[in-house]
Amino acid sequence: LNRNCLDASRPWLCFWILHSLELLQEPIPAAVASDVCQFLARCQSPTGGFAGGPGQHAHLAPTYAAVNALCIIGTDEAYNVIDREKLLDFLWSVKQPDGSFVMHVGGEVDVRSAYCAASVASLTNILTPKLFENTTNWILSCQNWEGGLSGVPGLEAHGGYTFCGTAALVILGKEHMLDLKALLRWVVSRQMRFEGGFQGRCNKLVDGCYSFWQAGLLPLLHRALYKEGESELSQQRWMFEQQALQEYILLCCQNPTGGLLDKPGKSRDFYHTCYCLSGLSIAQHFGNMDNHYEVILGKEENRLAPTHPVYNICPEKVAQALQHFLRMPVPEIHFRSNKRGRSVK
Amino acid sequence: MAESEEEVDVLVQRVVKDIANAFKKNPSIDEIGVILCPEARYNRSPIVLVENKLGVESWCVKFLLPYVHNKLLLYRQRKHWLDREALVDITCTLLLLNPDFTTAWNVRKELLQCGVLNPEKDLYLGKLALTKFPKSPETWIHRRWVLQQVLNQVSTLDHNKNQQQAEAVQADAERNEQLSDRLARTLRQEMKVCSDAAGRYPSNYNAWSHRIWVLQHMARGNVKVLHDELSSMRVWVSMHVSDHSGFHYRQFLLKELIAEICKRPAHTSTSCSPQRGCSTVPEGSPCPHSCSHSNGEPSGQEAGGEEDSHADFTTVLQLFHQEMDLCSDLIQSFPGHETLWSHRRHVFYLWDQWVREHQHSCSRGSDCKLIHLTDPDPGVPEISSQSCAGQGHGVNGQKHASEPMEVDGLFLPDPHNSKRLKRGVLLPCPPTLPTELSFVSSVLGGCCNTEQRHFALAYRKWLDTVIGLQS
Repeated sequence: LNRNCLDASRPWLCFWILHSLELLQEPIPAAVASDVCQFLARCQSPTGGFAGGPGQHAHLAPTYAAVNALCIIGTDEAYNVIDREKLLDFLWSVKQPDGSFVMHVGGEVDVRSAYCAASVASLTNILTPKLFENTTNWILSCQNWEGGLSGVPGLEAHGGYTFCGTAALVILGKEHMLDLKALLRWVVSRQMRFEGGFQGRCNKLVDGCYSFWQAGLLPLLHRALYKEGESELSQQRWMFEQQALQEYILLCCQNPTGGLLDKPGKSRDFYHTCYCLSGLSIAQHFGNMDNHYEVILGKEENRLAPTHPVYNICPEKVAQALQHFLRMPVPEIHFRSNKRGRSVK
Repeated sequence: MAESEEEVDVLVQRVVKDIANAFKKNPSIDEIGVILCPEARYNRSPIVLVENKLGVESWCVKFLLPYVHNKLLLYRQRKHWLDREALVDITCTLLLLNPDFTTAWNVRKELLQCGVLNPEKDLYLGKLALTKFPKSPETWIHRRWVLQQVLNQVSTLDHNKNQQQAEAVQADAERNEQLSDRLARTLRQEMKVCSDAAGRYPSNYNAWSHRIWVLQHMARGNVKVLHDELSSMRVWVSMHVSDHSGFHYRQFLLKELIAEICKRPAHTSTSCSPQRGCSTVPEGSPCPHSCSHSNGEPSGQEAGGEEDSHADFTTVLQLFHQEMDLCSDLIQSFPGHETLWSHRRHVFYLWDQWVREHQHSCSRGSDCKLIHLTDPDPGVPEISSQSCAGQGHGVNGQKHASEPMEVDGLFLPDPHNSKRLKRGVLLPCPPTLPTELSFVSSVLGGCCNTEQRHFALAYRKWLDTVIGLQS
């Protein structure tokens, strides 16, 4: 990724860094947390949603990142930054009739947008079935014969898009409509036999960030198959080689001066730090609150906090946010015309 | 070297101007790059133009980029005014250094919309940016936006033309030709840009996705283009045997072609064969399975669509056969490339799907025979996929006297049909589960590459568990 200019990624930086800290169980000083809240408030667009930086147009990706970052902070100040009514307006403004979402007004469609929308809508309790009408079918049409999902229907299956599509369907309660077995076959084939890490697509090189995007699918699939009545599921392990992934991350993806990276020879960055750590967490922790099984490679100090496989923030933070926002009513969207001049309720 | 704000200002203005002048001086610049040069030694411009290559010395980037970036942001926040020419120059400089800077592309969208810039300029700028940043998502996204503007323009003109039927037909025909020339040129250019970008970065998802988008929007249903692409890609994929995206593109072309071939209407006055090439597919095909296609001969038709569905079937079979052939060839020449096996899976899967969908479109003629795609046949000798064209039997080496409409069966015209023999059409062997299994055996028998063994075994497992289970 050409990251010389991260002007459109500042909420992302907040999320990548905050999430890394929470996985490392590093407390965030109150002053820092407050600063972040104020900064993100300035990234919020007057018309709803969050932008890549102050003064820019709202975009689903930084919106996802901002909401996640605020939920990690988890204070009332953080929750109060989010203008729920306007956020709902924003989501409606990017919703397409075929069920998909554009990433920003006037922008392009791809399956990430559905995930970003579903994630923020569910966390802040502004989700309605109408908002996601046809979205399920659109996401399903992104699953191709390989079993993975593509960015838009008809393209190549790809790790990042596959995670986004699957996680979105989990949020909408429709993951069982995927061909789960084909998806399982595809994702497990993406773990590299030699390196132990994951590749994004067939015949590509390993990359540390896929430790989350790809390996993160296995918890989602495990739960989905369990709900389908699959009897042969393990009670202790995910369906990927957890130890090998941990080895790849710990042995190959660390910068000696701190931070994590794609593969040896690459430079560190916050994106890879976040997703390598997230993948490490997935590989260390099986199960949920009731049935938890750990596999920690190396010293006990290597243990990270568990992460929620759908939202990729810590499960307690998810629960806390839901608890906070579920007390509030789902906003009614304002009676107004959308761009096509139709009245929208 | 501490630079004062004014010095930076002067330097940057000069550099931006130098870049703009370079383009004026040489409109054929075809590549950009950064020249590793950590210090400014002489008092000269960091912009270097040699033949058609534009270089920026690296020492100035750290001044240039933040400064120009900031200027543009200030403009956007209405804190600083820039006239149109300055905007064009500044965004050009910015995007050549960092084409993922969305704001800069958005400024150019506005300039385009008010006529200050023409679309060709942005397509050119994008093409240059891609020489250094072949994946740049924002560049590809902007490119599609520009192309959409061009397509809208063209369709508006087209629409106006239709409304003025009364006027000089000659002028209309000429304008029509100009329009389709322009589209054809644009299409070719896009294919080239995609191809170059694909060559610069392996498995370039964005470049290939763009390529597919272009075909879907500028060559929808165009069988000739699909065929041309399929044939020109043979060489490319043979030189990029690990490029999963390149092979995925072939899978896309195959699917589209087959869909188009099976869509063509029953009656057209001109003979239309993929070998000869149709540039337009007539709209509104009434009958999906009977077409006028007749291998280059005038469509003297027999009763019903029998001949046509034979011919369709032959074309589709030939396409699949050629693809499997190419795949086998590459698998044997370049052992141990997962993409090739993945491609094989996909092609076979497509073939299998197609056969299942068309099993019911049987001819009513009595010279139909059936083969069973998944019949095990221990009696069949090891055959390579090319060798059975001359045989007078079905693929399984036996004559079948089966009934038509059998669920598992596949309709195959009898090779003994004298009309077919007269035309000298050699029907290649359709791929079947047994032939695929024997391919795997032959690979396993001959190879000592561990990866190749692994992929061959995995393919066999897939055949057994996924395909085998469907029959």
